[in-house]
Amino acid sequence: MRSPRELTVPGGLLRDTIAVVLAGGQGTRLYPLTKHRAKPAVSFGGIYRIIDFTLSNCVNSGLRRILLLTQFKSFSLDRHLQQGWSILRHELGEFIIQLPPQQRMVRSWYEGTADAIFQNIYNLQEQRPKYTVVLSGDHVYLMDYAPMLATHVHNEADLTMAAIEVPRAEARRFGVMQVDENLRVVGFEEKPEDPRPIPGRDACVASMGVYVFTTETLVHRVLEDAKKPASDHDFGKNVIPGMINRDRVFAYPMPGQDDKRPYWRDIGTLDSYWEASLDLLKPDPPMNIYRRAWPIRTYHEQRPPALVDHDGSQSEPKVVNSILAKGTHVTSATVEWSILSTDAIVRSGAEVRESVLMNRVQVGRGVRVRRAIVDKDVNIPPGEEVGYDLDRDRRRFLVTENGIVVIPRGFVFG
Amino acid sequence: MARILVVDDEHALRLLYAHELTQEGHTVDTAESAEEGVAKVRANQYDVVILDIRMPGKDGLEALGEMLAERRNVKVIINSAYSTYKDNFMSWAAEEYVVKSTDLTELKEKVAEVISR
Repeated sequence: MRSPRELTVPGGLLRDTIAVVLAGGQGTRLYPLTKHRAKPAVSFGGIYRIIDFTLSNCVNSGLRRILLLTQFKSFSLDRHLQQGWSILRHELGEFIIQLPPQQRMVRSWYEGTADAIFQNIYNLQEQRPKYTVVLSGDHVYLMDYAPMLATHVHNEADLTMAAIEVPRAEARRFGVMQVDENLRVVGFEEKPEDPRPIPGRDACVASMGVYVFTTETLVHRVLEDAKKPASDHDFGKNVIPGMINRDRVFAYPMPGQDDKRPYWRDIGTLDSYWEASLDLLKPDPPMNIYRRAWPIRTYHEQRPPALVDHDGSQSEPKVVNSILAKGTHVTSATVEWSILSTDAIVRSGAEVRESVLMNRVQVGRGVRVRRAIVDKDVNIPPGEEVGYDLDRDRRRFLVTENGIVVIPRGFVFG
Repeated sequence: MARILVVDDEHALRLLYAHELTQEGHTVDTAESAEEGVAKVRANQYDVVILDIRMPGKDGLEALGEMLAERRNVKVIINSAYSTYKDNFMSWAAEEYVVKSTDLTELKEKVAEVISR
């Protein structure tokens, strides 16, 4: 995926650019995972938090001036950033600065994505970057922003939107654009009822919510939008549609990795969280987090290595297509298609299938867990079953549309 | 005509603007600081606010942000002795930017323009 950016990115360009990461999502559709934490702070992939992907993309791309706009329940996010992301050097002009609403321009929380920028115009003025990359803190993907930035400059664009093809049937959830042969965007509609497909295809071009703006245009458009009382102050809904006929707006197709289709997921719902988690376990994963060239950074607790052991009982330990984070311990149990996060314990005779166990989850002897997301610190007592009798589970837990059982943090089995 | 608020720390200028704009048929209110200006925008509905930037205490750019917080659709004309703030993103939230002069022709024109928008 990495393009020869030494050739394509003019010198100083990255230093003249600031990344603004919108990390304020309340994540109501990820409830109860978001009961105690902001959406970008939700754990993912055994050791990460969702925001690690966007921040790693920034740092790996050479974008090291990062403003992080937060607002809801940011404590766990604060702690994570402090523990895992205190790596940039202010002396070198690099930073990750967290900005809750300053209430300098408005007396409310961030109302929409464009409003978050509006309320931070003062900070953009302080930095005066030539280009501003606007990113979302709750997407999972690997992407080098540098070639996108170079393309933006080459096109003399006001706005460049990263784009990905999606099946037409799913396109209603996205901003859908139409492009000409030069990838100039000639039409854009946010969450359209009847998405316009790519001519002759049953697919649409969707916006990933990854934007490169020329900062001056961004400021003008956001200020104009801020003065419209009827606006939701959202880029997709309000700002971008108004730019199409007025400014130079281009699409940048997200490149695939290792000749694969590009992989990008908006972790908007519990089902999409579960699906993206299991994507990590596929034999040839659509998103490869194992390449040294594109490390996904996070905070690593000092924990011992994972252990799979046999206690001499009848059941042999069996672990297939699963991630075992540090400190996990599987004893004579079966773990298939599952993610065991740090310090998760699965005891003798238990079976865990197609599930995500977060930190310190304990699965007792003989327990069977299937298609579940078990949040931190839950102790499933011996003999329990989760995910087998959904009617029973519905009386105890949230069960998603796709039948995924979600056990909230700290749940105590009676 | 229009209801205008003039925010300027210089007494003589407030008098001048008030006099000239009243002659044009406008109703003019004045404030001698950013703080007072913001408070007046909170309490009253003006068609136009003429706003100085360099004032003791809060400056005009800060006041502009706070005025927007009070009323999203407030229309501000920055009236500063300095043109340097034209480059400041915060000043772009204003409708117009006029460099101060004892000749009020341009200011009056901009007021008329902003009202007619």
